[in-house]
Amino acid sequence: MQKKDIGLGILIIVVGAIVYMRNPLFLSPINLGNTANLIGLFGLFAIGQGFVIMTGGIDLSVGSVIALLGVLFVDMVGKFGVPWPLAVAIIIGLGVLIGLAHGILITRFRLQPFVVTLCGLLIYRGIARGYTAESTAGFPFGSSYPQLEWLTIGRSFGVPHSFVAMLIVAAVMWVVLHHTVFGRHLCAVGKNEEAARFSGINTRFVTVMAYVICAVLASIAAIYFAMFTKSVQPSSHGNFYELYAIAAAVLGGCSLRGGEGSVIGIVLGAVLLQELQNLVNLLGIPSSLNFAVMGAVILLGVLADQQFAAYRTRKNTERALGLLQKP
Amino acid sequence: MDQQIWGVFMNVLELKNISKRYGAIQALDSVSLAIAPGEVVGLMGDNGAGKSTLVKVIAGNFAPTSGDILISDKKVAFNKPLDAQKAGIEVVYQDLAICNNLSAASNVFLGREPTRRIGPIKVVDYAFMRSKSAELFARLKSETRPRDLVHKMSGGQRQAVAIARTLLSDAKIVLMDEPTAAISVRQVAEVLNLIRQLSDQGIAVVLISHRMPDVFEVADKVVVLRRGELVADKKASQSSPEEITGLITGAIEHA
Ligand SMILES: Nc1ncnc2c1ncn2[C@@H]1O[C@H](COP(=O)(O)OP(=O)(O)OP(=O)(O)O)[C@@H](O)[C@H]1O
Ligand SMILES: [Mg+2]
Repeated sequence: MQKKDIGLGILIIVVGAIVYMRNPLFLSPINLGNTANLIGLFGLFAIGQGFVIMTGGIDLSVGSVIALLGVLFVDMVGKFGVPWPLAVAIIIGLGVLIGLAHGILITRFRLQPFVVTLCGLLIYRGIARGYTAESTAGFPFGSSYPQLEWLTIGRSFGVPHSFVAMLIVAAVMWVVLHHTVFGRHLCAVGKNEEAARFSGINTRFVTVMAYVICAVLASIAAIYFAMFTKSVQPSSHGNFYELYAIAAAVLGGCSLRGGEGSVIGIVLGAVLLQELQNLVNLLGIPSSLNFAVMGAVILLGVLADQQFAAYRTRKNTERALGLLQKP
Repeated sequence: MDQQIWGVFMNVLELKNISKRYGAIQALDSVSLAIAPGEVVGLMGDNGAGKSTLVKVIAGNFAPTSGDILISDKKVAFNKPLDAQKAGIEVVYQDLAICNNLSAASNVFLGREPTRRIGPIKVVDYAFMRSKSAELFARLKSETRPRDLVHKMSGGQRQAVAIARTLLSDAKIVLMDEPTAAISVRQVAEVLNLIRQLSDQGIAVVLISHRMPDVFEVADKVVVLRRGELVADKKASQSSPEEITGLITGAIEHA
């Protein structure tokens, strides 16, 4: 665990304590369960975004991917009677294709990640709206899919399965990032692409894989969101979600300059964001101020972190200079 | 017969009439040079003389316009840096080949991480990386610690990391493009020591530098490029900083 993660953990506890003191409902089982569900849903794709950010890139298309794949999933299962395991496989397959497309445009054709995924944001949203002719996609009345529902919106001992899924994904991605060769190469490519290339790393492959991971996790999140909301409104479903993901990753210590980040940090970032949402609701702050509160807290967090890092560097330099002057 | 075989391995690297053109610019003009195992060659020349170009040709960054490269007397053609690496040529760039956000050990092994199996997955073997790089740093007599992050290190320690990489791959020849350009006096001494360690282990070193004292401190041989032409190839002990300066500027035509 990194120092940053511990700082973020403390912040989460402090904010939680303040909210609890003002409104004890914060720790009620119902509220905790609902919040955990949202943390699971948002954490799933925030982790993917974090991987892309670690390569020094960004994926702005996440929200639109969640809308488009959500619409397709609901239609496949609800309208066309595709067996749900097959539908899940198709959706994840589409996620792979979307990620490959982003990655190849960025590495082979040397387009900027911002531009590629901004176009993705517009295209996928547009397709979702065009395909449904702006009408909401939903499951037929009275239909039910017990296993699928158990996996997505079910709970065990009060713990929502979306949260469990996020924890499993986080554990896997933690191993990938910190204990596999790919993870090492991801950090190297993000920090110094040229050095990585000179060291014989296939930097294109590493970058493409980061976008594939991001899109695949977004596609899994799309299924969870579709099951959670039961219907998908193509023009508003998933709006701004890419920004939640970026916010969680940045709060969690990912640098937009690449090369830095931790899975634990991203998960804690997602926790803090949902805690802030909760704070707005429970403290009776008008929910229209929702975004303003979130933006202000992220800004303060990043500012404090940066000032603290600068302070540490200054201290270290002073100490080094002191050592040099002694003899 | 025996003698012939010995002759074969006299030169770890030989360049024959290497030329390189960039459009109208003749960056290298029929350069010939031979380097023996463990030899330290100081490569000097004014700005734009073609030193970096020569290094890039040897390192496989691009092919020469004409001329031959021989490794242990066998003709080679490098299409990409990896080819040169496989032939035992390593390049140490001032800052380029190092990732600041990783530890010293991770950098030494970057691109060739050792792994071990845990069930179905292969995980990076950090313990081996640390012990092996500690061993390499010890061989280089450097105080660099494997766990330290590179961005907290001195320039000399960074060089140690970059040079440890070359030991890992059993390099025959290490090219260093201005390793002492941006570091303090004490760190320069550290880098020069590293070069001596490499040479002691039979690895040839080509040191590009503008700093005359550094070159004369470690080099067995000094070669001078002027406008793409090789104008001197002398034993350091038979030359002097004054002569080399004259050769670089053109005050002395040839040596
Ligand atoms: N990629 C390139 N395209 C065109 N011309 C180039 C290129 N690289 C180098 N040159 C030219 O080739 C000549 C030799 O350059 P080189 O970089 O080898 O010099 P150098 O001896 O390393 O100089 P310095 O001491 O400044 O590093 C110069 O005239 C330079 O402008
Ligand atoms: Mg140069």
